[in-house]
Amino acid sequence: MKIKELLLAPVLSNNPIALGVLGVCSALAVTVQLKNVFVMCAAVTLVVAFANMGVSIIRNHVPNSVRIIVQMVIIATLVIIAEQFLKAFVYDQWKTMAVYVGLIITNCIVMGRTEAFGMKNGPVESFFDGIGNGLGYSFILIIVGFFRELFGSGAIMGFQVFELTKNGGWYQPNGMMLLPPSAFFIIGLIIWAIRQRDPSQVEEQ
Amino acid sequence: MAKKGNESLTTIIVAGSLCLVCSLLVSFTVVNLRERQAKNKELDMKKNILMSAGLIKAGDDVEAAFSKIDTVIVDFESGEITSEVDAKTYDQVKASSDPKMNVKIPANLDVAALSTRAKYAKVYVSRVDEKIETIILPVKGKGLWSTMYGFLALGADTNTIKGFAYYSQGETPGLGGEVDNPKWKAQWVGKKIYDANFEVLFTVNKGSVTDATANKEYKVDGLSGATITGNGVTTSMQYWFGEHGYGKLLEKVRAGEI
Amino acid sequence: MKPLRNFLDSIEHHFEKGGKLEKLYPLYEAGDTFLYTPKSVTTGNTHVRDGIDLKRTMITVAMALFPVIIMALYNTGYQANLAIANGAAVEGWRASVMTALGLGFDPQNIASNLFYGLLWFLPIFIVTQIAGGTWEMLFASVRGHEVNEGFLVTGLLFPLIVPPTIPLWQVAVGISFGVVFGKEIFGGTGRNVFNPALTARAFLFFAYPAQISGDAVWTAVDGFTGATALAQAAVGGADAIGWSWNDAFLGFIPGSMGETSTLACLVGAVWLISQGIGSWRIMLSMTFGMVVTAMLFNAIGSDSNPLFALSAKWHFVLGGYAFAMVFMATDPVSAAMTDTGRWIYGFLIGVLGTLVRVVNPAYPEGWMLAILFMNACAPLIDYFVIDANIKRREAKNG
Repeated sequence: MKIKELLLAPVLSNNPIALGVLGVCSALAVTVQLKNVFVMCAAVTLVVAFANMGVSIIRNHVPNSVRIIVQMVIIATLVIIAEQFLKAFVYDQWKTMAVYVGLIITNCIVMGRTEAFGMKNGPVESFFDGIGNGLGYSFILIIVGFFRELFGSGAIMGFQVFELTKNGGWYQPNGMMLLPPSAFFIIGLIIWAIRQRDPSQVEEQ
Repeated sequence: MAKKGNESLTTIIVAGSLCLVCSLLVSFTVVNLRERQAKNKELDMKKNILMSAGLIKAGDDVEAAFSKIDTVIVDFESGEITSEVDAKTYDQVKASSDPKMNVKIPANLDVAALSTRAKYAKVYVSRVDEKIETIILPVKGKGLWSTMYGFLALGADTNTIKGFAYYSQGETPGLGGEVDNPKWKAQWVGKKIYDANFEVLFTVNKGSVTDATANKEYKVDGLSGATITGNGVTTSMQYWFGEHGYGKLLEKVRAGEI
Repeated sequence: MKPLRNFLDSIEHHFEKGGKLEKLYPLYEAGDTFLYTPKSVTTGNTHVRDGIDLKRTMITVAMALFPVIIMALYNTGYQANLAIANGAAVEGWRASVMTALGLGFDPQNIASNLFYGLLWFLPIFIVTQIAGGTWEMLFASVRGHEVNEGFLVTGLLFPLIVPPTIPLWQVAVGISFGVVFGKEIFGGTGRNVFNPALTARAFLFFAYPAQISGDAVWTAVDGFTGATALAQAAVGGADAIGWSWNDAFLGFIPGSMGETSTLACLVGAVWLISQGIGSWRIMLSMTFGMVVTAMLFNAIGSDSNPLFALSAKWHFVLGGYAFAMVFMATDPVSAAMTDTGRWIYGFLIGVLGTLVRVVNPAYPEGWMLAILFMNACAPLIDYFVIDANIKRREAKNG
């Protein structure tokens, strides 16, 4: 039961992006195409999960004075490994995201979870908490990526849905959707919708 | 936690062993995946080259198509083929920013504001019956926000464009970013770079090219709302096909010396 | 008029709390107050009773826009007829209407110009009202408050700042974005941080840049391309502008419909200032900021950018400067509230707008971005001004 909650709570009721407003940087940067979104989400989810688990395993042996740097080392290692794998197996996606994969290191969600959860809980719970938060992150990114690709390029997963005017079709692509700030608007709307459903997330005035 | 001294010791032990484990993990992955990554990178470059020349379509076998293409290193200065550097490993983009491998472009010739150029060019040639059919030349130019890298493919007359594409650019999507628009790139095919005296005439037009446009065989449509990107493309063509760029090489090709 | 009043009264109970059409109360209320003076008045004894309310404010602005709209109609028609007289093709339903009415396409014919302009302006205006009004109504219904007159002005401003040939679906998409993101998400009229009409325009600018800022959109004739005076100046400085300064001042140049005529905007400005609606401090300081920045660029000079040399006199009449100054920067909701704050706010808009116009090659015009940016800063400016006041008083009395 606990694991189910760990996995599902961060998706809607405690979403790292929608409630914590963490990890917005990459949510803006990689969401032009849905393909990239999936690669990025997989990378982030695995990094959070394993970083959280790794930190949790050694949490009782880490002196308090160096705990942040220890978490950092673990996260950085995992990110480098993830980037190497992407470079080897999905080169095309890696190429378009390049620096943003490396920047997972600075993604607040990862460090936020290791510090807030991994340092206090057992490895198994930490692993699933990581997966859950990764899913929460992915949930938002997939929605953002879906709308940005659909309205910005008239396509979903690279498959043309709306025929573009430049190819003789009817759809005039929305250029703003190709620019990173458009993700702000979409994330804002998602937060709006989530809080409409669950007013307890609204901050007190 | 017991005593202060003990704590420092644990700190060092934990930090040390963690670093050791992490570095082992990282080096293990890097070493094992290196070959695969190198192959990916090479394949990607080959694909860019072939796509820009219009020699393959998406989904075609890149390796098979590329095996018909020769890679040659050319000295810009003399326009002759050289074996100064290894054609397999030479990287023209890197060389252009390496002080040992580049030359400064004289200010009066630097129309495209590139400031430096590699000493040697890495050029791709496809032949049919020993005769040159297509020459693929790397070109780069400054757009509004970014440096744009691409390839331009010329026919055997060294004048007719057979294909053109940028493989890397960071212009505004929808405006300058339209240099990636397949329809726009398709216009390049069949246009000419040089006039009869081999002066560069090619330009990106202001506005669309119509039948009424003067010298229309040397012009492609302007990119709406992206004057600066368009100018960047024009000036880079002027530079690369001028005397200081590939001019010498193409002269030799026309003379049948290469 | 009596029967109408009686009819409205007779159906009112349907819309009140508990009535079957309760959700549509805002619609009823809007219709009622549009036709009649509201019967509810302030009670209690602590109110300042002034005749000026939101409606009166908005109607004053609408009146100030009157000369601008007339010039917009006239010039849109005039530019189109001029192009047609010079051989541009005449197509579309508007041409059929013109021919049917026997007005022809003579640039010297005032009626022909006005009417042809109207045929371009009206569809955009109607689409703006329908699309924007629908959102307004929707939010009012959901939130249970009244539809207010704020949208009347937004809906008038927006058609004036788009090019005449803009596709109507873009008008609808743009104004929807402007109303929802520029106003409603902040809580509606009076609470918006950004000017909704400018938000709508900015959205279109970033979403469909090639259609809205190219050189094919400014004259209301299909397929006719011609650069605006500002675009010409960007290429070759003041000498390259194909119109005289007087043409630009009066407004006989191509551009977004309402912003070509500096004169019409100034007439509107006089009216707004005389009614105490528009802030003369903002207009003055914005002009001051623009002149200072333009002179600074004149002094610096540039070999590659002819706009550096463009004089403040030209900056004043080109592009959307006058319109932005009179109608956009002075928007009472999104501008600074304090008098000192208004001086700073206007000045910074003048500086930033000129900066964007001259230096940034990607954006042909700077006022929209400058004003939106300063909209975001206005509360901060006010905060510092008020804070400084408090400190000064404390020092004096404390």
